[in-house]
Amino acid sequence: MKKVIIIVLAVLFMIPVFWTITSSLKSMNEIYKYPPSIFPEKVSLEGYINVIEQSDFPRYLANTLFVAIISTIITVFLCVSLGYGLAKGIFKYKGFLTEVVIVTLFVTAQVIMVPLFVIIRQLGLMDSLWGLIIPAVFTPTGAFTAIQYMKGIPNEFLESAKVDGAGEWQIFSRIVLPLSKPLIASLSIFSFTWRWNDFVLPLIVINSGKKFTIQLALATLQGQYGIPWNEILAFSVMAIIPTLVIFLLFQNLFMKGISAGGLKY
Amino acid sequence: MIKRGIVESRFVFVIPGFVFHFLFYLLPIILMIILGFFSWDILSPMKFVGLKNFSDLMKDKWFWNSVVVSFKYTFLAVPIIFVISLLLGVLLQEEDTFSKVMRVFFYWPYMIPMVAAGTMWKWLFSRNFGLVNHILTRMGFQPVSWLDDPTLALFTVVMVQVWVLAGFMMMLFIVGLQAISEEFYEAASIDGATNFQKFWYITLPLLRNTNISVITLSIANCFRNFTIVYIMTTGGPGYATTVAPLYVYQKAFTDFRIGYASAGSLVVLLITFVIAFAVRRVQEGGEMEGVV
Repeated sequence: MKKVIIIVLAVLFMIPVFWTITSSLKSMNEIYKYPPSIFPEKVSLEGYINVIEQSDFPRYLANTLFVAIISTIITVFLCVSLGYGLAKGIFKYKGFLTEVVIVTLFVTAQVIMVPLFVIIRQLGLMDSLWGLIIPAVFTPTGAFTAIQYMKGIPNEFLESAKVDGAGEWQIFSRIVLPLSKPLIASLSIFSFTWRWNDFVLPLIVINSGKKFTIQLALATLQGQYGIPWNEILAFSVMAIIPTLVIFLLFQNLFMKGISAGGLKY
Repeated sequence: MIKRGIVESRFVFVIPGFVFHFLFYLLPIILMIILGFFSWDILSPMKFVGLKNFSDLMKDKWFWNSVVVSFKYTFLAVPIIFVISLLLGVLLQEEDTFSKVMRVFFYWPYMIPMVAAGTMWKWLFSRNFGLVNHILTRMGFQPVSWLDDPTLALFTVVMVQVWVLAGFMMMLFIVGLQAISEEFYEAASIDGATNFQKFWYITLPLLRNTNISVITLSIANCFRNFTIVYIMTTGGPGYATTVAPLYVYQKAFTDFRIGYASAGSLVVLLITFVIAFAVRRVQEGGEMEGVV
């Protein structure tokens, strides 16, 4: 009985995905047929082929990968380093600085997009992929995750290394970094996914079609006149696949790591 | 033991992070307040206008309408998210293979880019070609204009928000439920409690911290929602689904009233902060549940 309820709910949850995939495999004639067919009468890759050939999809993909990968590398560096400093350092205002990070956990691009736009413009990053990377690399959620993780590293490890004559940099690179592998993995996966999914920042920063990311291109496509829905849906399916693969590969991290890092930014 | 000078040098590690934090989190907030006192269309020079933006904002019917829409959206979505994710959490709390596999289906929507999610649902609810209306007409009902009817449009958009967030909140409930000791239930069974009584008198009260996390996180996520609405309705029909962040976006990037939009964002940000501080206050009593 319980299993039946769960399966029914799961089917309901997957209806949008099912309808998108089947519709994306219909030809243009079939997708505008009334009443609609549930499954494609004839499976057609027309939508996918048209998107790839006509919409500059490979370029959007390259832009998005560039942004997501570079951002992720910088994010990991910034968050791990800051987390270590705030968890293991002793200096004035440490508590205050930690508090400052926590207070901004709820500040996201949707809320500060107007001043963010002004700053990005002043920095000369408008209509540039770096304008999508630099403002997004530091995330309070990532920093908070790192602080919490670093607090869990025993002080004795650091102190015994110091007794053995290791310098501060050596302690960080030889002791702290190896111990932080799970943190780095989790930060990388979340950061890559959120940057891949980003929409608000590309919307306010990017103007020219050459610089579009996949999400921005998908949104813009819908505003254009005469783009058939089988192409829009084929585009949607392709926009989802990379994060689906990452999600399935690192399921446990996503589902167990319901720490602050899981919070969408 | 530790030489103070050496430890203090760990301050170096926080510098790069805080440079970015200042530039893209603190500075925007400061700038937002400053810009609120200016009239600026990006191209011509800024003009100091004192409190004019704020007094105009007070009189701006559509701005307050958008704040009300955001609140409606939030308070419609949050109870549904709460009930569905709690139900899913209770159903899937076991660590067996079946539960683990099924969780994926509910959590996955949270990972789907919002733009794609909005697009998929727009097609599902399409008046003429959508599956939902197709099934309704098969069952003998009239097709429904899900996104063109002012009242219905908000419900439709809320449905997508529920779909996106429920699985994430389900995981919070699973973590919370697994932390409840079996002994409570055993003791209750001996006393002859029914399943419902166990749920009502044991599970729910012991989930207090999780409940608070789920509710506050849901509120914060729903209140600042922008993308789902932007993709599905662009705020329409009329202003029926124009949520506050979308209104601010339109003022800034369609009308180029940067100062005015800044004043509007400041109000939205203040509301977000009130919610955030409420979370912290309520959570201070208990454990943080690993969530902020």
